[in-house]
Amino acid sequence: MKRSLIYFDEEDFQNSIDLLEVVNQIYKDSEYETYAICFNHNDGVIDGKFDYLITIQNGEIKNYDVQNITNCIEELHHIYDFDSILIPATYLGRMLAPRVSMRLKIGLVADVTAIEHNNGQVEMVRPAFSGKIFAGIVNWNCKTIMMSVRPNVFVYEPDVIKKTEKIKFKPTTLEPSKIKLLETKEKEKIKDIRESEILVSGGGGVIGDFKHLYLLAHELSGMVSASRSLVDSGIASRSIQVGQSGKTVSPKLYIALGIYGSLQHIEGLKNVENIICVNTNKDAPICSLADIVVEGDAIEFIDKLIEKIIKNRI
Amino acid sequence: MKIICLIKFIPDVDNFTYDYEKNVLVRENVKLILNPEDACALAFALRIKEKNIETFIEIISMAPQSTIPLIEDLLRRGVDKATLISDKLYVGSDTYVTSRIIAKYLREEEYDFILTGSHSLDGDTAHIPSQIAEILQISQLSNIVKVYEDSLEKDSVIVLVDCEKTLSKYEMVLPSVLSIGKESKYKLPFVKYKDLELNVRDRISVITNEELKFLHDEVGTYGSLTKVNRTFARKLNKKEKVVVSNDDEGIDAVYKFLKDKGFV
Repeated sequence: MKRSLIYFDEEDFQNSIDLLEVVNQIYKDSEYETYAICFNHNDGVIDGKFDYLITIQNGEIKNYDVQNITNCIEELHHIYDFDSILIPATYLGRMLAPRVSMRLKIGLVADVTAIEHNNGQVEMVRPAFSGKIFAGIVNWNCKTIMMSVRPNVFVYEPDVIKKTEKIKFKPTTLEPSKIKLLETKEKEKIKDIRESEILVSGGGGVIGDFKHLYLLAHELSGMVSASRSLVDSGIASRSIQVGQSGKTVSPKLYIALGIYGSLQHIEGLKNVENIICVNTNKDAPICSLADIVVEGDAIEFIDKLIEKIIKNRI
Repeated sequence: MKIICLIKFIPDVDNFTYDYEKNVLVRENVKLILNPEDACALAFALRIKEKNIETFIEIISMAPQSTIPLIEDLLRRGVDKATLISDKLYVGSDTYVTSRIIAKYLREEEYDFILTGSHSLDGDTAHIPSQIAEILQISQLSNIVKVYEDSLEKDSVIVLVDCEKTLSKYEMVLPSVLSIGKESKYKLPFVKYKDLELNVRDRISVITNEELKFLHDEVGTYGSLTKVNRTFARKLNKKEKVVVSNDDEGIDAVYKFLKDKGFV
């Protein structure tokens, strides 16, 4: 029976739960048990999803105190001898994972985006060089595998309901914290095309009516971006430029309107999940990346699609 | 006050080109640059030194000796000492081994705090700062956007951190590892005209395994706990596209796609 430990980041429930899908892909059909470790919270969202829920209730351990969290995980690993340790690559997770790996002398792979199996070995896939290449990494010289997992990549869909046995753990290795939170405030929402999940992007083909794109972006609750030709001609601001000389974006949906798709533009699209492209030339390079190519005029397309969206909303 | 700054030279990723015919990344003739966040970290150290001339700054880099001209350029900007950790045995070390090598050198050093960038543009694992802090048993924070210089005392410092969802102010016990983010906007000063040709060679010390004394199987690929099995380029043309016209049928197809994916 394989045992897998998942660190549950209380600031990111969903991405912590989704790590169950990673465990699933590692062990596939062989038997395994999942353990969640939670500090000072015991949330109902875990019930039914994990086999075990290890909670540590101790006000002395703050959620940013990675040294003491590492101490606890070390103690637990000595008891349970985990076969895999997974940590979401959140702000905290990215500081915690390297510490734990060093303490336990386990190889660590950062920001994993896929799991593959190669010659009986689990291969952890991660991007490098700003996502320009991918590396398949295996663990070496140690039994346990460990990784931090990039958020929003894996999706867990529960199939069976687990019993979720509760384990209350009292650590014995706490030390005085070397760090103290003085104050914290929510960040202001900064309007940046890199943070938008949906981008409605225009190129030379919409030079006559670029403002029209904002109507569609509004309907989809997304933002407008532009290719270099629109920026160079002074129609769009550089802050919304996609491409090598602009910004690299990873939206879930990219609607390319009248964009040709030069190499430098495509370089600015990283891990874009869905691309719809509208172009009078269905053989424009950008169309080869698209899920759907609409052959035709982009402005006309905007009007028709908005009409359709509004009609279906009522 | 003594500040140690860990730096790394990386290939200039923005100038990589992609060969779509062969599906490979063209890495030849790409020049090395100082990792941008490491530059922010060093810039902060130099800023402290400018205010307090007593400050001593040492940069440490684990790299081939071919990086010496780049290191000299940093020394001419006001860095007091550079340590280049370089040995054939260390080639192929993963982050676990690299951290152990650098930390072994650091153990013998005295310092008030260690500065690093939060992450590097090439590997982007952000492992080294946390792992070194773990070995030295000191605290560490990533994505620091501001160090409150006035708060800097012998045994503590206050920093402002971008924690993705929040901006938080922390007090850290010194010594600690402060990993600076690019949002800090600390900028490296230029080399002063009179220093352009300054001979700084005597400020560089090269440390090899003769000093650090690792066993051969503790470092390089032998000592590593992870191994790169293969690298591959992202596949751009894997999608099976659907081509539709700009008519009712086409709009229906687009709408259904958006609906299925949850965008409308």
